[in-house]
Amino acid sequence: MTEQLDRRADATRQQIVLAASHQFARKSYSQVNLDDILTQAEVTKGAMYFHFRSKHELAVAIINHQTALSYEAMNEVLSRRLAGLETLIDVSCLIVGKDIGDDVCRAGLNLLESIGRTDGVQTRVLGEWTSAFAEVIRRAIAEGDVVADREPEDVSRVLISAFMGLRQTSDVNDPQRYFTDLQKTWALTLPGFANPDRIGYLNQFIKRRIALAIHNAKPLT
Amino acid sequence: MVRQARSEATRQRIVNAAVELFSEVGYQATGLGDIIERAQLTKGALYYHFDSKEALATAIIEEGADIALRAFRSISDPSSPALENMIHGIFVVADLTTSDKMVRTGTQLLKAFGEFNAVTALTHGHLLSEMVAQARQAIAEGDVRDGLDPEAVGEVVVGAMLGAELISNAASGGADLVDRVARTWTLLLPAVASAESLPYFAEFLSRESLRHLPA
Repeated sequence: MTEQLDRRADATRQQIVLAASHQFARKSYSQVNLDDILTQAEVTKGAMYFHFRSKHELAVAIINHQTALSYEAMNEVLSRRLAGLETLIDVSCLIVGKDIGDDVCRAGLNLLESIGRTDGVQTRVLGEWTSAFAEVIRRAIAEGDVVADREPEDVSRVLISAFMGLRQTSDVNDPQRYFTDLQKTWALTLPGFANPDRIGYLNQFIKRRIALAIHNAKPLT
Repeated sequence: MVRQARSEATRQRIVNAAVELFSEVGYQATGLGDIIERAQLTKGALYYHFDSKEALATAIIEEGADIALRAFRSISDPSSPALENMIHGIFVVADLTTSDKMVRTGTQLLKAFGEFNAVTALTHGHLLSEMVAQARQAIAEGDVRDGLDPEAVGEVVVGAMLGAELISNAASGGADLVDRVARTWTLLLPAVASAESLPYFAEFLSRESLRHLPA
């Protein structure tokens, strides 16, 4: 019985998170109105406050949900067993694709920018990402794609800064432009850490994926 | 519900015991009694799930093929070029054939039963249709030479891999499989890839070989 209740509560919570993601993906934090979320989620104010005490708490929940989904996506790419650096390229394409077409990802990244500075949310989330990427860079060093004297954590931080900045300078609503800018970001950063012999190949690898990604992109409606 | 889970666990225990024994002493030399002893179960429990040694072998073939097929599907992602998936997929399956006991034993049994077991046709059929689908996609992506038929490309690639497996088994007990797969792909690739795409995929292949070969 309690299990059933728990499941219903989980479903309600999920409904709220999805409805709120829809809003936060399209409007800035301050423009999002709780009533709009309630209407869309079809839940009462009481139900909402049972799960989230404030708009801020709801926003942090979306960031956490998005982070969990991104890790799942990253593990999925890791399970394809490509080379380390190829894996990171695939992960970047995947996340840009989700930023273009997925409510939760777009909302989570928007919120990480707008409210992430409070309560150390940004520090925590980006710190975790930096370590996760650094782990894969370490493998890329062993595979000879990344030059040996680079500090994995440094390479990782540069890549994540570039991607987080990219979604501000590029246009998340324009797949062609966003993906092309991603390709340029890789092309410009690779010479800073990749083995010179491998750069030609890696740029080809990126180019082929970007072409497919632009072709498969489904923007938010 | 609980009963079903327990029954499934028993079945898995029997299959695992059989896999161990078949790979240790071979299919012919293994008796059902040995399997019962290894799995520490009763004769009744075994016969409840499998009515013969051949039924058990069929289950292993299916399970091994399923693991390999799932691995191939998991890398056949629309975000990567299909010709990459074809190359990478063969290496991943070859790796599993070397490292995963279920896949390895299943492959060996498949060869032993190849002549008269319906599951053989089905197992190869699944992998073949996955490969043909990738070949079709690779043609659409412009990476395949003009005028090639996706069915033919899929068949030749799967056929060459199964052949490599056979030779590798004969020559080294399967130990040099990845090396043979790499050499087979080196010869096949120029026949499949278009002139503009060949240099890139040749490099993709050589990176793949380096990464999968034992150091």
